[in-house]
Amino acid sequence: MNDRNKQILFDILRSMCILTLSFLGSLVVQDVWNARSLIPSVFVLAVFLVSLLTQGYVFGILSALISVLAVNFAFTFPYFEFNFSIHENAVSALIMIVVTTVTSALTTKLKRQEIIKAESEKEKMRANLLRAISHDLRTPLTSIYGASSTMIDNYSMLETDDHIQMLKGIREDSQWLIRMVENILSVTKIDNNNLALNKNSIVLEELVDSVLMKFQKLYPEQPIVTELPEEFILVSADAILVEQVLMNFLENAVQHAHGMMKLELLISVEDERVLFSVIDDGCGMTADQKKDLFSGRLGSVQDTSDSKRQFIGIGLSVCAAIIKAHGGQVWGRNNPERGMEFGFWLEREKVEDE
Amino acid sequence: MNNRYKILVIEDEENIIRFVKALLESNDYQVLCANSVETGLTVFSSHWPDLVILDLGLPGCDGSQFLRQIRLSYTTPVIVLSARGEERDKVEALDLGANDYVTKPFGSAEFLARVRSILRNNRRCCEEGMLPGGKFVCGDLTIDYDVRRLYLDGQEIRLTQIEYNIMALLSEHFGKVLTYSAIIKAVWGSADPGSIKKLQVNMANIRKKMSQKPGQNKYIHNELGVGYRMYTDTQ
Repeated sequence: MNDRNKQILFDILRSMCILTLSFLGSLVVQDVWNARSLIPSVFVLAVFLVSLLTQGYVFGILSALISVLAVNFAFTFPYFEFNFSIHENAVSALIMIVVTTVTSALTTKLKRQEIIKAESEKEKMRANLLRAISHDLRTPLTSIYGASSTMIDNYSMLETDDHIQMLKGIREDSQWLIRMVENILSVTKIDNNNLALNKNSIVLEELVDSVLMKFQKLYPEQPIVTELPEEFILVSADAILVEQVLMNFLENAVQHAHGMMKLELLISVEDERVLFSVIDDGCGMTADQKKDLFSGRLGSVQDTSDSKRQFIGIGLSVCAAIIKAHGGQVWGRNNPERGMEFGFWLEREKVEDE
Repeated sequence: MNNRYKILVIEDEENIIRFVKALLESNDYQVLCANSVETGLTVFSSHWPDLVILDLGLPGCDGSQFLRQIRLSYTTPVIVLSARGEERDKVEALDLGANDYVTKPFGSAEFLARVRSILRNNRRCCEEGMLPGGKFVCGDLTIDYDVRRLYLDGQEIRLTQIEYNIMALLSEHFGKVLTYSAIIKAVWGSADPGSIKKLQVNMANIRKKMSQKPGQNKYIHNELGVGYRMYTDTQ
C-alpha cells in the first residue's frame, strides 16, 4: 500500500475515533450530567480536532455534516428524528461548518509553509556551495589561463625551465580542478534524493585495494600503512562515492598535514559496523578550525587568502553528506599526541553462509 | 620502412584528438583518427589497426555499435574512454568485447601505460598459446593447463575446481577486463541473484591463497564494481 493510501486510511480511522468519542461524550454529558447545552460545543470541538489532525478539507467537512446530523437526530428536540426547521439547529450546523472549513484551511496553509521553508533552506545551502565552489574555481583557472597565454605570447623570451614550471603548474591546477569536479558531481548525485545512490555489495578488501591503487598513482612517494580485518566483509554502498570519501581524507592528509611522517588507513569491525580511520601525525588543526569541520566552511567566510583551505571545507562537507546518505557517520578529531584522525563508519552487510 | 603499431582513435573532441595523437606519435605509434562510429568502421576496415581507442561519450553514437560490428570478425583490442556516470556503458562495452577502459580525465602516463600493456599482452596471448595443453607463464606465475595446477614462485597453490577455472579464464584473457557477468557465465554457466557474491568470495579466497594484499596485488586486479583482470605491471 503506498503512502497516500496509508495516509487516507489513518485519516478515516482518526475521524471515526474522534466522532465516536464525542458521541459517547455527549451521551455522558446528557445522561450523567444533564447539561444538554454543552453537546453542540462537544461536537464543535470534535470537528475542530478532525480538521486539525487530518489532511485536506474532506474529512473536516464530512465530520461536520455527520456531527450536525448526529446532534439533530439524537440530541435535540424532536429526539431521534431529523428536523431542520428549528433555527438553533440551522445556526449550530452553520457554525460547525465554518469552524471546520477555517481550521482545515489553516492547517493546510501551515503544512505548505513548512515545505516551502525546507525547500528554501536546501536552496540556500546549494547556493552557498555553488558560490564557494565558483570562487574556488577561479584561482586554478587564473593560473591555467595566465600561464598558457603567457607561454604562447612570450614563448621565445622564456627559458625552458620557466616553460616546464608553468606547465607543471597547469597540470597541478588541473588535477585540483578534477578533484573539485568529482566532489561537485557527488554532491549533485546525493542532493536530489538519496535514492540516487548506486548501491552494490562491495568487498571491503577490494574497495581498499582500489583506493590504494588510485592513491599510489597520484602520490607514489607517500607510503600508507594499511590494516584491515582478515575476514570476508561486505558493505552495501555506492562504490564511487565511498572511494571518494577515502580519497578525500587521504589527499587532505597529504596536502594539509604539514610535517606528516606516517599516514595510516585503519579499518576495523565493531558489531555490525565497519569503521574506517585515516590517521596522520602532522600539524593537526586549531580549535577554531575544528568547530565547523564538516559544515563546508573552514575558517571565516572572509578568509579568501588561502582558497586551498576553503577546499578542505568543501571536500569534508561532501564526505559528510555522502556518509550521511549511507546512514553512517563521519568524525574528525585531533590525535592525543599529534596529527589528526578522520573517519567514518558504515553498516556492514550480512553474508549468508551457503 | 614503416613498422610501427597502428592505433585508431575514435573521438570527436578536437583538443583531445590533438594531444592523444601527439602523445602516441611521440611514442612511436602510428595514429589514425575518426570522429564518428561510421568513419571509424570505414577506417578500421581499410587500415586494420592493431588497437582501437574508442570514446564512449561520442554524441548520438553508440560505442556498442562499433564493438558489435568489429567483434563479429576481429579480435583487435579495444580500449574505451569513459567518463564518470557512464558506468553502464562501460560495463556493456566490456561485455561486448572491449579489453580495457580509461576513465576521463586521464593523464598521459596512465593512458600510455594502458596502451602498452594491451599491445604487449595481446601479443603474449597469441605467442604462448592459450589452447588447452599449454602452459601459461607470466613472471612468477605459472598455470599448467594440462594438469590444472597453479604455481607461484615455484610453489604450488592448491585451488578448488572453481577457483582454478576462474584463474584459467583470467589467464586466457590476460590483460583484459572481464566483467562479473562474463566470468560467471564462463565458470558457472548461468547467473542467479547470488552469483556475484559467490564470485567475490572465490576471488577473496584466491587472493588469500596467493598472499595478495590490497594495494599490492601482483597479478589479480579488481576493477571495483566492474570485474576482474589478470595483468602485470612489470615489463
